[in-house]
Amino acid sequence: MFLEKEIFKEFEDIVGVGNIDDGVVITNVYAYNWCMEIFNYMDGKEPIPFSPIPKAVILPSSTEEVQKIVKLCNKYRIQIKIQSTGLGPWNQPSTDNCIIFDMRRMNKIIKIDEKNLYAVIEPYVSGAQLQVETMKYDLTIHMPGAGPMVSPLASATSMNGPGFTSPCTGHSARNVLAVEWVLPDGEVMKLGSYGLKNNSDWFHGDGPGPSLRGIMRGWAGTKSGLGVFTKVAVKLFPYPCSTDFNVKGNSPNYDFDIPDFMKLYVMDCGNFKKLEDVMLGVEEEEISFMCSYLSGFAVMAIFSNSIESLMDKIPIGQMKAPLVVIITARTKREFAYKQKVMDFLLNNFKIENIIGKIYTPKPIFYAEALRSNLGLHGFIATGGFQSSKGVADTAAVCLRSTKSNIPLKQEFIKKEAIANDFGEGTWMTSYESGHYFHMESPTMFDQTEESSVKGMAEYMEKSNQLDLLKHLGAPFFVEGTRMHELFGPYMSNYHIWLRKIKETFDPNNISDSGFYISPQNK
Amino acid sequence: MSETKIYLELVKIYGSKNISNDPNVLEKYSEDLSFFPKKEPKYVIWPRNRNQIQKTIKLANSLNFSIIPVSSSSGPRHHGDTIPRNNKTIILNLSKLKKIINIDRKNRVVMIEPGVSFGELIPQLYKRGLKILTPLHPRASKSVLTAALEREPITIPRYMWDSSDPLLCTEVFFGNGELFRTGAAAGPGSIKQQKKSGQAQVNPMGPTQFSPFRIIQGAQGSIGVVTWATLKLEILPSIQKVYHFQSKNIEELLDFQYELLKYRLCDELFILNNLNLACLIREDPSEILTLTNSLAKWNLIFVISGRDKLASDKIAYLEGDILDIIKEKKLKISNNKTETNEIDILNFLNQADINPWRLRLNGGYQDIFFISNYEKISELITLVEKQITKNLGIYIQPINQGTSYHCEFNIYYNPNNKEETLDVKEKFLRISIDLMNSGAFFNRPYGLWAKDVYERHEDSTQKALKKVKKIFDPNNVLNPGVLCFDD
Repeated sequence: MFLEKEIFKEFEDIVGVGNIDDGVVITNVYAYNWCMEIFNYMDGKEPIPFSPIPKAVILPSSTEEVQKIVKLCNKYRIQIKIQSTGLGPWNQPSTDNCIIFDMRRMNKIIKIDEKNLYAVIEPYVSGAQLQVETMKYDLTIHMPGAGPMVSPLASATSMNGPGFTSPCTGHSARNVLAVEWVLPDGEVMKLGSYGLKNNSDWFHGDGPGPSLRGIMRGWAGTKSGLGVFTKVAVKLFPYPCSTDFNVKGNSPNYDFDIPDFMKLYVMDCGNFKKLEDVMLGVEEEEISFMCSYLSGFAVMAIFSNSIESLMDKIPIGQMKAPLVVIITARTKREFAYKQKVMDFLLNNFKIENIIGKIYTPKPIFYAEALRSNLGLHGFIATGGFQSSKGVADTAAVCLRSTKSNIPLKQEFIKKEAIANDFGEGTWMTSYESGHYFHMESPTMFDQTEESSVKGMAEYMEKSNQLDLLKHLGAPFFVEGTRMHELFGPYMSNYHIWLRKIKETFDPNNISDSGFYISPQNK
Repeated sequence: MSETKIYLELVKIYGSKNISNDPNVLEKYSEDLSFFPKKEPKYVIWPRNRNQIQKTIKLANSLNFSIIPVSSSSGPRHHGDTIPRNNKTIILNLSKLKKIINIDRKNRVVMIEPGVSFGELIPQLYKRGLKILTPLHPRASKSVLTAALEREPITIPRYMWDSSDPLLCTEVFFGNGELFRTGAAAGPGSIKQQKKSGQAQVNPMGPTQFSPFRIIQGAQGSIGVVTWATLKLEILPSIQKVYHFQSKNIEELLDFQYELLKYRLCDELFILNNLNLACLIREDPSEILTLTNSLAKWNLIFVISGRDKLASDKIAYLEGDILDIIKEKKLKISNNKTETNEIDILNFLNQADINPWRLRLNGGYQDIFFISNYEKISELITLVEKQITKNLGIYIQPINQGTSYHCEFNIYYNPNNKEETLDVKEKFLRISIDLMNSGAFFNRPYGLWAKDVYERHEDSTQKALKKVKKIFDPNNVLNPGVLCFDD
């Protein structure tokens, strides 16, 4: 479905020639995304990696242009789907009556406010870009687990938000300050202190009165189901160690000068009960830069850049309940204290650090940890992975969820639908020094093999059902009308309220609700 | 619908003992310490369980009356947010719901009902080696849950990971009487089933793609009535070391506190002027004034702490790093060891306040508070000090891990002196407006401020808030007239 010539011209008048395209090539390319095949199959469609083809792709360069485009879409009842850095199926339209906004022209770091510890960014600023700039002030950002190449704005406003450094940088949703948001009806809303008519600034995101961040997103974002986010202020954090960052060599085998005050611990806790105790113990001490439970296979993966390099790490893979902790410090004193705490805990829990004894990672691992670049290792075994689960509450429920998932996963491993991680493949991290935890189950599959895609989708469905029936928390991907209607009745009927928000703020159903919730009878 | 009908229906829910229309009782709810116009409610009711609350809200929807929830058992109310705006208002007094439902040491969380006060909760937590994140020396009779719902600033900014902290999950009745649980508490499953699977309602986000706790918070009871909430706890330190730095120059202290917070080097951290510090330490007015005169104008208080076997090691590392900052920045300030002592300060940091500190000097006060960025603090202080030259308390609290600052001005006066009261009223309103016009962000717009605050804010915010109100309280039965919600 193309745009009618006159309508195309109206859009073109807003963004300028060359910044909108409804040709076959461009629109087809934009219909592709990673993991689209799974979600297609879960929705009862053919398991292909393509979404419905958008009517056009448009590249706005400012909030004013976004606003005008949204208003025009309301006029012609064309839906909108927003892509910042565009990773994953959540960026894809659910109908062919849709225009994709590619936000790549809105790529500015508006400001880094050193004294008030935040940065204001546009959608196409990547985590890597922002981190480099904040390092000049001895500051860093919360980087989502997806990695440094994705948009922190998308993570903060619209997506999920766990990260490898969550023990000390929290969760994307909780790091949001003021926001600039084009609502589905085209009205520009400025949350918090940015909404002041005079002297507006970005330092606070709530009020006056109730915080509209509450409808903006939850544990997950609305995935462009409720308008367009054009700027956001996100909190900054102290850089964990020296900001000297010396990388040498060639991709992917870079070398790196490990900062003075940075130490990795990988410990086998033996069983989940002890793992919980150790994790809580470490986090109560407020010393960790990273504190993650990863399955043995996943620990092998974070130290590897290829399938071949996985193979020499079998002793790591044999660990029953590995805990990965990184401590960092700015001063020698701080570092000595944190090491002393770790020594005390290791002694107390009678566990050993294998690093330097059984295994010594290449220095690039430390650079990737500082860069939050560990998620990419999920792709090395089969070229494709996706996470199931996604509960966030206590360490106990995360581990229970992990445990209950193993037999289910093994069932699909036996069928050769998914890669063999012994059913244990899990990433679990602490947040805010152990105040809450989340787990997900990264699962590797072959995107090019239909039986693998179907198996992966079936596994995810069963995993969702398991969470529902065993009260293991809501998974990440309770999104889209079907899933909301499945989970809502077991969760305070929240779907009814969510739908009211959608209907109230998007009366013409302009924001694509494929990964949010549709209005009644639509 | 007649009042008699309302009364009879309420009696069916509560029995006659838990309803009052005694003029002496109604009088207490008709005014507070603010200048908000007086008005009496029709009844005050004291629910004992959540079924009664739900029935009351549903009744309000069908018989068209208004409900104002209050939670603190006694003590002064402040900001005009619980004074009726119309002639059909009932006060829903939740102070008898005072169960500490669960203290969970492992997950550092407490679940409480709205009537639980700081005076009751703090000692119970201490017994378990835990502490709640409190506002500055909270009144002992103050509802813990209300303080969190009102986004009152806490004194340990490094633990304020989000401006909503320490509030986590809630159970709430929305304005149409529907029960809801926010955050991870929504489910799947009942709270009992969640506990069985190891959950403790510590994740406030959600359920799924919205976070309704954020719109209940800061709503002054106009979106929902909360029947319990979970709140974040921290582990009680075994050593606390207090620092008190004084200066004539607030900029110097602001600069220092910035470094302390940026690198997360201390727990409690705030700046007080001499009068407010004296009010917190002394009770007698003459002693307050004596101490005020012996203190420097500006006082930075911070606490470093450690616990268990490595407590001293932690203190040593923090002290060393802090000393390095002082040297590096060539600060000429030093830790005060004369006018105040550590115990005085720890007393007001660790305990609830039986004799409200803001009332100690003159028996009355008006407070003006807002959020500011770092750069504007000094300018806004000057603006207020130009207009109030005496009996002015000032409290600057970094919040949300140093991304903004709660600025509070306490105008102390004798409420029995009519002339002084009129003068304070005039100044209170004028200064508030001046501050709003100068970039102060009144993010908790109570009583007399509300209209002026929203006028100075983008219209889209007000529009969106009204839509939200309509969703969750379609018949406008909960505290109508507050914020930007029309009566």
